[in-house]
Amino acid sequence: MGRRRRLAGAVAEAGAGALPKVITALSQSLPAGPSPEIFRRAKFDRPEAAPALWQLLFRLLSPQSADGTSASPALEAQACWVKAALRSQGYPRLVLAQLPEDGSRGSRELLLALSWLLARGPLPERLLAQAHVQLGDEMPVCECEALASPGPRAPHVEAEGPVDIRCVQWLMGRLRFRWRCLITSQQEQCALLSKIHLYTRGCHSDQRLGHLSVAETEMLRDPEGGQQVRAGARVLAPGWACTPGPGPRSFWNDVRPGRGGADGGRSCAQLCSAFQLLRRLERENVGLEAALEWRRGELVFWRWMDTVLGACPPEAPAAATQPTVLPRIAGRGLGQLELAARELRALQEELCEASERRRAAWAVGGQGRGPQWRSARQALQKAVEQELAALRRAWEQDRGPARPHGPHRLVRREDEAPGGQYLRAAEVIQALRNQEACLEAALHRLQGQCRQELARLAGALPGLIWILPPGR
Amino acid sequence: MLPSGCSRRLVAELQGALDDCAERQLQLEQSLRVSRRLLRAWEPAGILAPEPPLGPETKEEDPSPACTPSPQDLKELELLTQALEKAVRVRKVISKAGERDKAPSLKSGSFATSPGMTASAPTRAPGQAGSCTSEAKPTRGIHQTTVPAKGHPERRLLSAGNRARVGVEARATRPGPGLRDQHVGPSAAPQALEAFTLKEKGRLLQLPAAFRKAASQNSRLWAQLRSAQPRDSTDAAAAAKTQFLQKMQTASGRPGPVLSAVEVEAEVGRLQEACSLLSLRMKEELSAAPTDWTQEYHCLLTLEGLQAVTGQCLHRLQELHAALAEQPVGPCPMERPSRTPPPCGGAADPFWSPQLLLYSSTQELQTLAALRLRVAMLDQQVHLEKVLMAELLPLVSSQEPPSLALCRAVHSLLCEGGERFLTILHDDPADSPPPSPRPQDPVRESPLLPGRS
Repeated sequence: MGRRRRLAGAVAEAGAGALPKVITALSQSLPAGPSPEIFRRAKFDRPEAAPALWQLLFRLLSPQSADGTSASPALEAQACWVKAALRSQGYPRLVLAQLPEDGSRGSRELLLALSWLLARGPLPERLLAQAHVQLGDEMPVCECEALASPGPRAPHVEAEGPVDIRCVQWLMGRLRFRWRCLITSQQEQCALLSKIHLYTRGCHSDQRLGHLSVAETEMLRDPEGGQQVRAGARVLAPGWACTPGPGPRSFWNDVRPGRGGADGGRSCAQLCSAFQLLRRLERENVGLEAALEWRRGELVFWRWMDTVLGACPPEAPAAATQPTVLPRIAGRGLGQLELAARELRALQEELCEASERRRAAWAVGGQGRGPQWRSARQALQKAVEQELAALRRAWEQDRGPARPHGPHRLVRREDEAPGGQYLRAAEVIQALRNQEACLEAALHRLQGQCRQELARLAGALPGLIWILPPGR
Repeated sequence: MLPSGCSRRLVAELQGALDDCAERQLQLEQSLRVSRRLLRAWEPAGILAPEPPLGPETKEEDPSPACTPSPQDLKELELLTQALEKAVRVRKVISKAGERDKAPSLKSGSFATSPGMTASAPTRAPGQAGSCTSEAKPTRGIHQTTVPAKGHPERRLLSAGNRARVGVEARATRPGPGLRDQHVGPSAAPQALEAFTLKEKGRLLQLPAAFRKAASQNSRLWAQLRSAQPRDSTDAAAAAKTQFLQKMQTASGRPGPVLSAVEVEAEVGRLQEACSLLSLRMKEELSAAPTDWTQEYHCLLTLEGLQAVTGQCLHRLQELHAALAEQPVGPCPMERPSRTPPPCGGAADPFWSPQLLLYSSTQELQTLAALRLRVAMLDQQVHLEKVLMAELLPLVSSQEPPSLALCRAVHSLLCEGGERFLTILHDDPADSPPPSPRPQDPVRESPLLPGRS
């Protein structure tokens, strides 16, 4: 208690100058951050502050386009979208949903929404990570980004009308072939990359790195030629609504002329010359410094936000009973849910069947009954309960030590890197092997289920011999 | 033929997977192109832009941060690069026409010098750039280009100062103004100079100083940001934040926390994992052969327990379904491709910051990359398998009588990944006694299951 009072005192003593500084730092660390004046006006719910805050929220929540290559939509559309996005993230206050979308008022509520987002996670850092200029040969160590990144795909040749199953077979065959090609190309790329790293050993000023990356070498070869340098990393954490931004995929993607940010947020690579690259780096450094300053002084901000919240009129409970219609953020939620429900139901049926059988067998059997075995049975019951509890924990809790994720810069060296965080390829390979084994097991299990199901159906057809293909 | 709804979904799904692959392939090919080009001999591609725009490095400048080149500087730069371009062209023409002995080369050198010289003059004339000594540098750089070095032109360039930019050695073929030495002639003639290859001279490359500075500052700042994180949990700021969130919650008048769509998806993912773990456990129990009554009882209790847990999971799923469904849906003004990435388990690391991945040999790197692709492929296969199962199995079971061609195709797709096919023979009753369908567990007896009979 005393400490809190001392802290509050310290904050008050920090003086009136601290708050604007902190807010400026915050603004600088966020993309499209408004001036501190906007924040001040928002506290008093001035209407002129609203549009800037709508735009800021839109920028923070939406998938990033490559630094404004795509035209930003109108204010109404942005406001509508922001409302829906906040709702889908679980924003508690209903006042937001009732704000007019022309941006004429509601700045205080928007300020609260911004602070809510800031309080839930390290927002400036995530955004900076998304826009991070990647100079090295990056390789993601997990598949999260690759699995999640497909944005809205342009609907390809849509099958109109019924197709034959042979069409499906053909598509599967094509898919297999493409994967084979991919693997071959990628092996070649690894070999080339390794050579480049080897040949440029000793060039880099940073001792930890020791050699140049393809992007850096390309820049030296041709400083004026634009090469596309990726930006960003998908920033992941469970529970944090990831603003699905540019995926790195940079290992595959050093140079992609002309595709820029136009492919639906899937990648964010900008064509830059060496000069522009330097500029981008410098801008990022400015943002990083601002983020550090924000972290140092954010307590002041939160004290101030308390006052802002206090200045709000209490929400009428009646408002809670009128859910306003909001556009639904299309996720794959329902589809996934149904798939999961279907699997669980199938499992439940199997378990029901199996346990009934066993129960019947037990009832018939003669051992283990009677009061003299009661304590033994109870002990067994406890043991089973504990095992099941442990099983529950396996999926309910987070997996133990954090698995590494995100893109990592590839560095070729045999010994330890001096200082800093690094991963060894051997560890990643091990983790990937485990994942591979799990997935293979899952696939075999599914295939086994299909076999059983089809066998059951085939059993209904007498007079046929089914000759299986030679096993693996 | 498959029904149209089913067809549409299947084709869409497969086409999506194909597009995914195609995109990866495209990106990979671009990277390959770049890498191959780097490993060949470097041709003098493009025009060297001398260092100046890359910011303040010299002590002569006033310590103003991030010198942005004024439009005037850029114009001068433009002029300079045009002059250099012209010089290259002239030089090429001349050296093609002339012979490669010293006299004509000297002459050609001096001939080529003049356009260069005249170019450098105007750059000096318009005077100074504010804090950038842009004009001073290019001429200095160019002088350095032509500093003679028998057999080691590149090394001299680098030792000539920290401002030596790499590309310069590749540009050693370009003639610069200010020839100072006789030897320059032959060595500067384009044909005579050995092309720059990464293999032989890669070690001599050096990044520009301004760039190095910015990059090192960048990694330093990221390291600082990263180390600022763990403090957060014990910080007063963290306490203030949680307090603020709670106040927001209570002020909203809502009874409980709203289930965000994101959280729902995360939980559904967890329940899916629960399903797979439960079924794994079930298989273990079913395959174990109990030797005495305690084990039998244990098995029975486990199975019943698993059934109960599954029921609870299903119940939870239904709750989530209701929660999702109750949010009123309106028209969506814009597409939002919000696919929540499956949790990677990295909860301890709230945000990503740049890190290194060390590898020690080409082999290791190839293994790593191949494994990554394999995991991606397997994941896609599992997903496709589920989709195919959901679409095709009901189809086959609903047909009465089931079409054999369809059965065969579905079997190959679902059970063999589309790689192998089974054969179906009509069992002619004239040749052999027909197999009588047995009343026992059809699963064990069916010939479709390999290696079981």
